[in-house]
Amino acid sequence: MTHQPTIRFGRLCAALAVLLVLPFVAPNYVIHVANFVLIMTLPVIGLGFITGFTGRVSLSQGAIFGVGAYVTALLTTKLGWSPLATFAPAVLGAITVGTALGGPAMRLAGLYFVMATIGIQQIVWIVLLNAVEFTGGPQGVRSIPAVGVGGFEIDSTFSFYFLALAMATASYMLAKRIIASRMGLRLRAISDDELASSAVAIDVTRNKVLALVLCSGWAGAGGFLYAHYVRYIHPDMFTLEPSILLLTMSMFGGYRSLEGMLVATAILESATEYLRPFGEFRMIAYGMLLLLGMMFFPKGVLSLFPRRSPKPAQLVKERTSDA
Amino acid sequence: METTGSVGMLLQILIGGIATGSIYAVVGLGFTLLYRAMKMVNFAQGHVFMAGTFLGLIIANRFALPAIPLLLIVMVLAFLIGVVLERIVFRRLYHDHDVFIVGAIGLGIVLMNTVRVFFPEPVPFPKVFGERLVEFGGARFQEAYLWVIGCTVVLVALLHSFFTYTRHGRAMRAVASDAEIAGTVGVNVPRAIAHIFGLTFAVAAGAGVLIGPLYFVSFDMGDMVGLKAFAAAVLGGINSVPGTILGGIAIGLLENLAGTYISSAYKDLVAFVILLAMLVFRPNGLLGTSTPVKV
Amino acid sequence: MRNKLAAIAILSAAVAATSAQAEDIRIGVIAGFSGPGTSYGIGIRQGAEMAVKEINAEGGINGRKLELVVVDDGSNPGQSVTAMQRLINDKVDLIVGGWGSSQVLAAMEPAERAGMPYVVVGASNPRITTEKNKWTFRVLQSDTLQAEEVADIAVHRLGLKRIAVIHDANDYGVSNRESFVARMKKLGVNPVEVQVYQTTDKDFTAQLTRIRASNPDGLAIFGTIPAAPAIMNQAREIGIKAQFLGTTGIANENLITLAPKASEGTIFATMFHEDVDPDARKWSDRYVKEFSGGSQPPRPVLAAWEYRAIKFIVAPCLKKAGTDKDKFRSCLTTWKGRIFGLPDEAYFNKTNHLVQQSVIVQVGGGEFRAYKGDK
Repeated sequence: MTHQPTIRFGRLCAALAVLLVLPFVAPNYVIHVANFVLIMTLPVIGLGFITGFTGRVSLSQGAIFGVGAYVTALLTTKLGWSPLATFAPAVLGAITVGTALGGPAMRLAGLYFVMATIGIQQIVWIVLLNAVEFTGGPQGVRSIPAVGVGGFEIDSTFSFYFLALAMATASYMLAKRIIASRMGLRLRAISDDELASSAVAIDVTRNKVLALVLCSGWAGAGGFLYAHYVRYIHPDMFTLEPSILLLTMSMFGGYRSLEGMLVATAILESATEYLRPFGEFRMIAYGMLLLLGMMFFPKGVLSLFPRRSPKPAQLVKERTSDA
Repeated sequence: METTGSVGMLLQILIGGIATGSIYAVVGLGFTLLYRAMKMVNFAQGHVFMAGTFLGLIIANRFALPAIPLLLIVMVLAFLIGVVLERIVFRRLYHDHDVFIVGAIGLGIVLMNTVRVFFPEPVPFPKVFGERLVEFGGARFQEAYLWVIGCTVVLVALLHSFFTYTRHGRAMRAVASDAEIAGTVGVNVPRAIAHIFGLTFAVAAGAGVLIGPLYFVSFDMGDMVGLKAFAAAVLGGINSVPGTILGGIAIGLLENLAGTYISSAYKDLVAFVILLAMLVFRPNGLLGTSTPVKV
Repeated sequence: MRNKLAAIAILSAAVAATSAQAEDIRIGVIAGFSGPGTSYGIGIRQGAEMAVKEINAEGGINGRKLELVVVDDGSNPGQSVTAMQRLINDKVDLIVGGWGSSQVLAAMEPAERAGMPYVVVGASNPRITTEKNKWTFRVLQSDTLQAEEVADIAVHRLGLKRIAVIHDANDYGVSNRESFVARMKKLGVNPVEVQVYQTTDKDFTAQLTRIRASNPDGLAIFGTIPAAPAIMNQAREIGIKAQFLGTTGIANENLITLAPKASEGTIFATMFHEDVDPDARKWSDRYVKEFSGGSQPPRPVLAAWEYRAIKFIVAPCLKKAGTDKDKFRSCLTTWKGRIFGLPDEAYFNKTNHLVQQSVIVQVGGGEFRAYKGDK
């Protein structure tokens, strides 16, 4: 599956139109689930820089997401900062932790890297849980204020939707830009063949660390959104389990496809809700979704949709028939 | 605090650590075997271990079997299940790393929640190793701990002989090194792969039966053990069987030592920090060989 | 895609229209039915079902039947928020349930903002009832008070001098430890050893070895199933002979199933015991009869609060004030009365916490027995 380097504005506008209408026609509960989907696209996109473009498996995204959430939660509840002002610190905090811990791990071979990220995940979680004076520990942080934009409090499911949608869209466009840029080209080269890349003077390590910065920053931004939506955070929301789920979302959609990741996030994040008819067997159905999905659609979910761009052979035929 | 107290304390911790470490080692073997053969990590391994325990539980509750026959029956059954699953599930997954990872995660979720439907709460496992307590140098523990350690030793010895001295074992090792070449010298590669999967299942399930009598069993016990077993395999060198065993025991000991002498809250943390530090200095693990691995 | 949305919209409207005609009073129940708190969630659901069945059989409330809307939160705080949001959107009249302090603290936030009455039956963290909560009420005894009562018993009635504590790192364990140790110190006794563990730990050799070395005569265990029975088993194996103490985390019949010998003699504060008064015994017998023989064993301890909350607190207020949320809430704040299983009259204090005396039991002969003590 090739990726589309340019943003297909036609499709994007169509999708946005639908998404903008949604909150006016759908019940509140659906919007609530949509909010979680939108929030989660941020860490998933971040993860995409590592999994899709440097071919690594990272299991620490949940924890870095949590770091972003905690930074904003603590700054707003303990120091009384306004939420908007904490966005930058949340992202920076996440980047700092993610890079400080993950940086040294980047030079490890694939499998050991996974192990290192598991270690990072556990360490961050345990610290969040036990550094009680600092983070509140197992009591969590409650009464996190809503984001306020010029006097208007984004305090309801409905209003939050637009904030989340705006951030998700901005993330998507920014990510597309990055991928299409020289940096993105370098990242893809590294993912394909590290040895060859270094042979053409690509500073492999530096670029890997850059990917890590992007990954952590996005996670932090997602954490920021999460904290100001759920308004109560607790270390158990940022364990290995969400890290695994985020990983599956970034991989379920298909290798290197940003659009695939978004669709996968939509499908998997809302799964726990639309699978409720299965009752007790809800989570079994979720596992089967993942398993069967991978067994029968290994190229990712988007391979289900017919490709709009014509196949190369057809292109050649068209071009030569013009002559 | 009497002096016998502190020696007794140390001994207690060492024995406990070696016992739990053995469990990590055996489950870790599953990771190692698969990795050597397919260069893939099976994220469902911890849940296979858990499912093995429950398989043992169901059988032990139905037929009052002594320990060793129970262990053997569960391992054989698990082997067969592993072979069947390879055919219908894994064969469609292992053509691609990412697909295998997500698929295995899905399988793990299915296993865990299926068990949960039948056993939503923790249950006790029949004491197939007896209930006697052993006192030794100030340490007191269940006899079962010694059984666990003993069975692990026997299992590892058996596996080693199998791989070294039997034709089938050597064939599997050939497939693990280079499947293509193994195929050209007449090894039935698909069958060998199926048997490798079966073996990883058997090993995990066996560990499950060993641990059952020590603690309660619950549907969510696979997560943590799987994690530590993976750590054991990586610590010891994922392509080294003796390394994995060493890694498992090391983690079991480290946990207990750190938990007792440093802090029980940060018990897990210490294990992970040491693991990470180890990876920084010896990225191939304690006994791993640095085979050129494509990143 | 738009057609689907339109269809959803029409369907929702239709459902809303039809449910507006039925005059059922809808009670939401949030608890964990998949995840670590499943044992407890099952009991809560059983209690709710029993109460609602009885009330409906007697004609409902002012002619209206009660309907239960049960949502699983998987004992996960994030899912608890979603569950609460769902029930709020579903426009239930009130919510009775909630197990696990982290889950309840999380789910309280949307409830408070939306003005949804939330009667909590399964979370003992003191931070749930403070000056801040207006719509959240809690019927369960709080950690602080329970831990203090157990400390009193340990020091005064049992005369223990060397008490060790082992507790879960979660908020239940931490808040219990804080209250217990503070009370102990006030009574002039310092703990000889305090150890922590993570909820999913299975092996406690490290912690128990240190505890054994401190030679305790009492060991307070602040945790839940399955850790607590595992700790008891391992403690006895390793040679610790101390008296076990605890609070509601271990108030679950499974404690005895999992630690049949080791749990003998444990004294703890629980939420319900059938021998406190004859009505309690009558209810318990009826309850056990109704729920035996199913795939899940009956759990009177957990079902009791859910049942009593619905039957004796929620139902009378619904009768008096109807389903208008403000009036219902006011009724709750002024509620007082006698409930079986509680020795004295109970009432809600300023922080919406139900003031009551703890019920103390001791494990004996494979069951929970009311603890009389020497006093």
